[in-house]
Amino acid sequence: MIEIQNLSKVYKLNKKQMKESKLKTPQKVAVNKLSLKAERGEIYGLLGPNGAGKTTTLRCIATIIKPTSGKIFVNGHEVEQKPEEVRKSIGFLTSDIKLDPQFSPNYLFDFFGRLHEVPQNVLKQRKQELFSYFEIGDFAHKQIKELSTGMKQKAAIAVSLVHDPDIVIFDEPTNGLDIITAKSVTDYLKKLRDEGKLVIISTHIMSEAQKLCDRIGIIVDGKKICEGTLDEILQKTGAEDLEDAFFTLYRARCQAGKGVQ
Amino acid sequence: MSGIKHIFGKEMARVFKDRKMIFSVFVLPVVVMIGIMGLTTNMAKKQVEDIESHKSIVYIQNMPESFEKFLADNGLDYSMKQANNEAVWEEAKTEIKDGEADLLIEFPKQFEEQVASYEAGQDIPQIKTYYNPSENYSAAAYREISDNILEGYRQMLLLERIGDINEVTIFTVNSDNAEMIIQDDQKASGKALGTMLPYFITILLFAGAMGIGTDMIAGEKERGTMASLLVSPVKRNAIVLGKVFSLMAISGISSVIYVGAMVVAMPKVMGGADAGFDVSLTAAQIAMLAVLMVALAFFYSAIIVVVSVFAKTVKEANSYVMPAYMVILIVGMITMFTNKEPEFSSFCVPIYNSALVLQGILSGEVTMAQYGITLGMTIVLGLVLCGIIVKAFESEKVMSC
Repeated sequence: MIEIQNLSKVYKLNKKQMKESKLKTPQKVAVNKLSLKAERGEIYGLLGPNGAGKTTTLRCIATIIKPTSGKIFVNGHEVEQKPEEVRKSIGFLTSDIKLDPQFSPNYLFDFFGRLHEVPQNVLKQRKQELFSYFEIGDFAHKQIKELSTGMKQKAAIAVSLVHDPDIVIFDEPTNGLDIITAKSVTDYLKKLRDEGKLVIISTHIMSEAQKLCDRIGIIVDGKKICEGTLDEILQKTGAEDLEDAFFTLYRARCQAGKGVQ
Repeated sequence: MSGIKHIFGKEMARVFKDRKMIFSVFVLPVVVMIGIMGLTTNMAKKQVEDIESHKSIVYIQNMPESFEKFLADNGLDYSMKQANNEAVWEEAKTEIKDGEADLLIEFPKQFEEQVASYEAGQDIPQIKTYYNPSENYSAAAYREISDNILEGYRQMLLLERIGDINEVTIFTVNSDNAEMIIQDDQKASGKALGTMLPYFITILLFAGAMGIGTDMIAGEKERGTMASLLVSPVKRNAIVLGKVFSLMAISGISSVIYVGAMVVAMPKVMGGADAGFDVSLTAAQIAMLAVLMVALAFFYSAIIVVVSVFAKTVKEANSYVMPAYMVILIVGMITMFTNKEPEFSSFCVPIYNSALVLQGILSGEVTMAQYGITLGMTIVLGLVLCGIIVKAFESEKVMSC
């Protein structure tokens, strides 16, 4: 379903950015030769600290940015060759992507449905299903700017799923949500997985990854340092939970980095 | 195609579903424009009336009896003050300088005797007038008394001296020729219209789209809502064209409203149909105007979008778009004040050519070659800019905030 082969993403920096990032070279490697494969019917979690390259990887998959090198295949379509086909098959949500504050969830759901060429009767059905699940009906006619953070996130999730995509990519989907809304979101992701869809999420919340993800890829400094099911990762690291496992791997990575230096 | 239609529909809904937006984009500018014009016209009219109703304060030295009688006979009423000594003379000058008095007239001593005893070859007597051109009352008193009243007084004295004034008149110019003006009224009204309208059309087409255009692109980038379009399966060029076309429509609608309001309201506001807006266009002129306005709206919308796409914020976009607006303002002004027949090469200069052609259409003087090259160039440049915008939409550096 999604196959990433040796993905690298290097950003060029100007002098100001170099100074801010305390880098001596005018380049920043955000993702470094990352490869992974995720299949239908699983929730794959990209786990890593801030700045590890999780969001950059997801943005490359969603065709918002282009890989510097490497290939990404989504449902068999290469992202640079067939970007429209890729975008047709994914539902993408990140905190950078916002809904137009001037319009209502109702209008935006229909608008994005039309952009995805969802037939009118299917659109109506999808709206009923998603609005009912996320309890959007009460505020469906209000402008986005009038909604709370939780309401906005629910509306954004519903809109991103309007076309019933095969692949759902959510970047930190529960970020900023209260516990009840977060639970409804994670439950829906499980439902999608159970329906046979591929769900990829990025998170830095260990408990969320532990409970939700079928497989986890741990990324540090743009490199994948470990991948597997929770049990496999715990076995590899000899840790008791994901948080311990992450720190074991993280320390090892830091020491290796110092050794190289 | 459907992508363009949906994006177009959303952008139109953004404007037309928001009453505040409709008011601020289409109604408020018209109200403000007509209000300002009306206020300026009204104030200018009041100023003229005030000057006309003002009783001029005139100091006069050595006033002859015949002049006093001339004023009385003609019902001319001024606040006359004698300035026959040095002290009053100086006081009169100071008052004129301070705007408290309007005019000082100096007749020579024994003026009437000099006039009566004049013989050929002698020096002719001179009447001197003093005024302050920076004071409205003083300037008006000078124009009226120095140019008209004293001329009338001179004619009266001349009549007394030679009996028949026609002996020295020799000829008159157009004193009895009601049919002196030979012109094509339609062309003449077009000329007056052609001076003003191209300026307003070009400016309003741009101004109408400017605020919304910067928000439509830079605003969407700034708010993070552009990214939601970029992850949809719609092609980048469909997003660009949908936005440019909607901006075109908004710019076209607003300029039609503004120009329409001007044509209807201006004669009323500015007093009478003589204000130069007596519209009388043929079907061909209307068709040529309409096609050019559509092409211009496309070109201007593309300029606004191309500028906005490289800005990270609306504030930045507004500051980028301002120089383009200034160019359009200045070019409009150049055509407004140019009387010389433009050379063909002028029709190859973008923006300037469209102002020239608009002027030419309204005065009926444009050739098909001039019209064709201007229209073609405007459309081609708009397309080139759209190509640049599509490239920019594909650039992650440009599109990421």
